Amino acid sequence: MDIDSDIELVQRSVSGDARAFEHLVTRHYLTVYRISYKWCGVKQDAEDIAQEVFIKLARKLKTFRQKSSFTTWLYRIVINTAKDFTRTCATKRAYESAFAFEHGPENPGSLQANHHAAARLYKELAKLPEKQRMAILLVLGEGLSHREAARVLSCPEATVSWRIFQARKKLKKSLEHGR
Amino acid sequence: MEDLSGQEETQKVFGAWEITMKNHELKKLLHRIPIPEPDEKARERTLNKAMEAFDQLKKADGERIKGFSLLNRLRRKKLGGCPLMRKSFAVTAGIAFSLMLLIAVMIPNFSAYRGAPTTKDTYNHAPAAKHDVAPPTVRSRPVSGTFERGFPEGKKQLGHPSQEYVGRDHFEIITPNPVKLVKEEPVSTFSIDVDTASYAFVRRALHTGVLPQKDAVRIEELINYFTYEYPLPRDRSAPFRPTVTVIPTPWNSDTKLIHIGIKGFDIVPGKKQRSNLVFLIDVSGSMKSPDKLPLLKNAFGMLLESLDPQDVVAIVVYAGAAGTVLEPTPVQEKGRILATLDSLSAGGSTAGGEGIRQAYALAEANFDPQGVNRVILATDGDFNVGIRNPEELKGFVERKRRSGVYLTVLGFGQGNYNDALMQKLAQNGNGTAAYIDTLNEARKVLVDEANATLFPIANDVKIQIEFNPARVAEYRLIGYETRLLRREDFKNDLVDAGDIGAGHSITALYEITPADSNARLIDELRYGTQEPVGGDRKGEKTDEYAFLKIRFKLPGEKASRVIETPIGLDVEYTSLAKVPVAVRFASAVAAFGQLLRGDPYVKDFTYQDVIVLAEPARGRDSFGLRTEFLNLVRLAMTARAMGNT
Repeated sequence: MDIDSDIELVQRSVSGDARAFEHLVTRHYLTVYRISYKWCGVKQDAEDIAQEVFIKLARKLKTFRQKSSFTTWLYRIVINTAKDFTRTCATKRAYESAFAFEHGPENPGSLQANHHAAARLYKELAKLPEKQRMAILLVLGEGLSHREAARVLSCPEATVSWRIFQARKKLKKSLEHGR
Repeated sequence: MEDLSGQEETQKVFGAWEITMKNHELKKLLHRIPIPEPDEKARERTLNKAMEAFDQLKKADGERIKGFSLLNRLRRKKLGGCPLMRKSFAVTAGIAFSLMLLIAVMIPNFSAYRGAPTTKDTYNHAPAAKHDVAPPTVRSRPVSGTFERGFPEGKKQLGHPSQEYVGRDHFEIITPNPVKLVKEEPVSTFSIDVDTASYAFVRRALHTGVLPQKDAVRIEELINYFTYEYPLPRDRSAPFRPTVTVIPTPWNSDTKLIHIGIKGFDIVPGKKQRSNLVFLIDVSGSMKSPDKLPLLKNAFGMLLESLDPQDVVAIVVYAGAAGTVLEPTPVQEKGRILATLDSLSAGGSTAGGEGIRQAYALAEANFDPQGVNRVILATDGDFNVGIRNPEELKGFVERKRRSGVYLTVLGFGQGNYNDALMQKLAQNGNGTAAYIDTLNEARKVLVDEANATLFPIANDVKIQIEFNPARVAEYRLIGYETRLLRREDFKNDLVDAGDIGAGHSITALYEITPADSNARLIDELRYGTQEPVGGDRKGEKTDEYAFLKIRFKLPGEKASRVIETPIGLDVEYTSLAKVPVAVRFASAVAAFGQLLRGDPYVKDFTYQDVIVLAEPARGRDSFGLRTEFLNLVRLAMTARAMGNT
């Protein structure tokens, strides 16, 4: 039963099928939550963003024109929601605890190091301009191709590549600086 | 030491990356960020909110269609309002469940991810898996609309969204019974209510220094929380006897209170019926906190102690799915029951509806016509998977009622407590609802009052009272707002009403304004016929305030019996000091409830006055419950003071 494609589910939802919509939500919840988390680094905020995304999804479902794939479209909602969220709410809050994770005895030192490194990287990412950060998250974080990312971000493919290039340059600089 | 080595490692990882600065290195690193699992609650809430938005939109669409053409309107009507939803229940269920399951399956993956960097598979697109086998369940949202997680709207700066728990408990809205004119509506009818959930909930709120939500305060439940030693009938031919007194109203010198007390016989020791119990336990994620599942286990453990060896217990649990974890087992094998109880742990979503179905099926399969067959449901009431619609759940329980299976609802926890649903279930399923906030309360409900909780002595108990216009101008029923019945329902034996358990005591209070009083709230009609007030008319029974009728069925009987008694001047006390302590205490509790709700009828009565009234009326108070009540009143004073500043 799970083989229904997203598109099918969307179509059925639009015609009023509540279970199809429910199916969509549960299917994509974790994905949405994860990107949200990678964006803000705070669990609660990520949960809030995810919630808002799905409320928006319910309201906007009718406007989905199938020009792009559903996931692309969903990513776009996530990104816009996440951006709105940080703008309206989180700008004044210092994300000191962002990307924090528990140090547990179950995490061996090398793993912790990996985590540390990743967390540091995300913190650096957070300092980048939104557009560059989004490009990095989508392409490197989510594994989208440049073309797909371009669709999500509604910009030419070359722009995505350029943003990633810029972002990498900045990252390198700030990380070197930070040492 | 460890920190230092950690730092060194960090440098090493970064070093490697900086040298290469390759995309795939960066990618790898990006995938190493440990992502905490989202809260089960947050996920459920998101689903609820999204479905809500979806439904709203659909409703809006429906409205549009409705206005559009007559044909459509007719079509809609024929299909029963919500055709799409109805049709798809069974299947929805499957899908909803399989997804819940899937997510549950994914969570361990995340933990694994945390522990060791895995490939991107765990990471990428979530759930495209195949879970075909799923029991039919449909999701139901908690009806509460009060709670909004603080997502910023517009440009408003809200700071960090914090979870405000108090507002998420869901109660049915209560409007205090209005004052009624005897000439217009001489008859008042209601069903008795032996629930005590409200008292425990109020207590819990006050213990945290907060006044409870107004709708959480059901005055009749506050009053009936206490056991009153009203006189018993002379012999056992009748299961209970009403005791009526008329007393001056403590909070209003112009009115009087009619106090109706009912006390039922307790079970004769050694003549206990066999109990066939099905524990239906909510083990969803929301039950994790110590005041829920752990408390529940203790409570049921206590209940086992008060059962007889030949009684039978089964356990059904529900979370994402429902399942029987213990087939009907005689209490003789207590160890096995306890071990099963102990092994339960919380996690997943809440398929309450399916759980109820299974529990009833089990109770019916093991039905003992000579005994008491009962499902005991323990939950925080947040059914989010299962029968979607609370009304449907209600309907299910209502139908099952006729099979002779009773339902007891034990509410746990705070923050997400769906009291409204619990009440509905208990009321429609021939049952009672209690709220368990502490081990002490568990002891009261399941041990001290186990007989009342388990053994009904009278079913469908309805009270009807007819006021004498010659004596009474206005009246008002205190509490029982959710239990009112129509006048004609009284004689209709098919209309459900509350049950009385062995040893239960029930109290109802009317505030009446005497016919000759100047304090009447409702003016005489200018154009109405002026009827003489007082005892001028011929043939009127002027020495009676009212006439009381109680209808009830003995367990297992279909036809009702009636107890009738006039409420005459002979049962009136003119001085409050001479009133029996039980009656005085009940009126103090009534005043307290009205104060908590901010009802307009208590005038300038204060919490201090409640204490003055209740303190000397505590009686024997062997369990200290009445003393605890006084403490609650004191707490209410300070809680209020905090609210004012």
